[in-house]
Amino acid sequence: MTSVKNIYKPLKAKLTEVIDESPLIKTFVLIPEEEFSFGTGQFIELSVDGIGEAPFTPSSSPHVSDKLEVTVMKTGYVTEIMHNLKPGAYMGIRGPYGRGYPVEKFFGKEVIILGGGCGLAPIRSLLYALEHIKDKLEKVILCYGSKTPADCVYKPLFDRLNNTEKFEAYRTVDRSDEEWDGPVGVVTTLLNKLKFDLKNSIAVVCGPPIMMKFGTIRFLEIGFREEEIYLSMEKNMSCGLGKCGHCMMGEYFVCKDGPVFTYNEIKDTPNIWS
Amino acid sequence: MQYLSIIKEEWDKAIEQLLLSYTIFASVESEFGIDYEIVNPANISKISYNKAKPATSLKTFFLPVKENVTSGTSLKRQRVIIGAPNCDIQGLKILDEIYLDKEFSDIYYRDRRENTVLISIDCLEKQEHCHCTSYGIKPWSDSDSDLAAIRNGDLIILRVNTPRGQEFTNQFSVVHDLRDENIISEIEDAHKKAESLLNEANKGLPDYKETGAIVKNAGGEIWKKYSANCVSCGACATICPTCSCFLLVDKPGFEKIKQLDACQYPGFQRVAGGEDTLHKLPDRFRNRYMCKYVWKPEKFTSVACTGCGRCIEACIGKINKNELFLELAT
Repeated sequence: MTSVKNIYKPLKAKLTEVIDESPLIKTFVLIPEEEFSFGTGQFIELSVDGIGEAPFTPSSSPHVSDKLEVTVMKTGYVTEIMHNLKPGAYMGIRGPYGRGYPVEKFFGKEVIILGGGCGLAPIRSLLYALEHIKDKLEKVILCYGSKTPADCVYKPLFDRLNNTEKFEAYRTVDRSDEEWDGPVGVVTTLLNKLKFDLKNSIAVVCGPPIMMKFGTIRFLEIGFREEEIYLSMEKNMSCGLGKCGHCMMGEYFVCKDGPVFTYNEIKDTPNIWS
Repeated sequence: MQYLSIIKEEWDKAIEQLLLSYTIFASVESEFGIDYEIVNPANISKISYNKAKPATSLKTFFLPVKENVTSGTSLKRQRVIIGAPNCDIQGLKILDEIYLDKEFSDIYYRDRRENTVLISIDCLEKQEHCHCTSYGIKPWSDSDSDLAAIRNGDLIILRVNTPRGQEFTNQFSVVHDLRDENIISEIEDAHKKAESLLNEANKGLPDYKETGAIVKNAGGEIWKKYSANCVSCGACATICPTCSCFLLVDKPGFEKIKQLDACQYPGFQRVAGGEDTLHKLPDRFRNRYMCKYVWKPEKFTSVACTGCGRCIEACIGKINKNELFLELAT
């Protein structure tokens, strides 16, 4: 009898740092007990011992192998308990799972990334991956929207990107505050000011479902082809193995066939935006 | 097709002998109907042959309702299951596709499959809701169980379906090659009879190839109508030989308990942010049909509904999916 890995067993990882990103969002820096690597856009199941686990796409660089960063919004039972964890605690990791961003297909192209809210977490990992191969890319433009200026995560990222050759980053907020002097409006408005080389561009959309929907519609209006719009879908990925059924979206298991899909792959699938 | 024969009395004795080396389960007839029991010397004579079908589906032996999948022990000792009907045997195929896929093989499922000798029965009678033949499944197995056992008067006839089945019969000193052509043709006639019984009873029921388009194109009204009596108990999915969705529950020590789940339960697809695509009952109800007749057939080669009819029997709301299909087909 052949012995294979137990697919349900988590790998332990030590929590070494907890970074406050916004009132509801923290980044957990983890050192797995065994070698662990992932492709950008793939996700992991992160667990709190004895409590539960939830799917997250790591927000760190896929080229850093000794540690892993996961950005978590406090939004439910498990994430609330995660937010109370202190450095030194052990968490469980399963994965990496699914199909991430096919960065090799971006070679020679302009990559336009539209992100909203906590969707910047997987995008940050993608940005690190793209920085790694920037010689092979034409240009990378990030357009990011948050509800308020305070809800924006990774604030230093924007300056850093704007000082990086071939990278541009823009921000908007839905609601301004006293200190904010940037654009106000939904994230798709940032696209209006930009010019695209449509023959040579691809779009990446990641954020809350409503933003993904209108972001995709906007890219289609601008003239992006369906197969050049990459969406990172959010469903209730529970096992990550294409078995438990919770993330079924039409005939797809989002955990295995996704979470990254091109729009043409899923445009006829029901309930993609909810 | 290789057939062996053994006198029923000897067969019962042989099963008793096998209890020394195997755990044996069999479908047993009682005043409550037919269902699986663990075999002991007292119930060997009550093992059911030639009749459809145990109340519980075969899935239960391979996907327990609840199991620890991090530190639980997998099945290492050989076991024997007698009495599985072909609908359930065929139901294992899609479970194999899901649980033994190349990338992520479930070791607990794999060990149970590898260590189980499957002895099927031929259904020579039908139950009220049996409709396997409508979905391209014969009421007997001639390839996917290891052996098939048929009662013929004072004899048990064994059809050898696999090399493992062949090897298994080597343990019996009292089996003989069946040379009586009359018995073989009796069995073949009984098969034909059973098939025509099923076909006759399910006249007009769309076959499996047609069901997908029918479900896909059905308007919202039919799901509202048929889900009106649904109480989201999940009995249809629990008893189904191919429904295999589950939930992982965490226990201290990073242990995971895998527990059968069902898309008919509220909250099955709810995400942390609150979105729930299956929040409304008619949507959940429709989801099970879309899964079985539209999505799974696009993804897997094996059928996701074997026509066993148990979901109809188990439903406390008396929802009959065959009535739904007949209504949609006409």
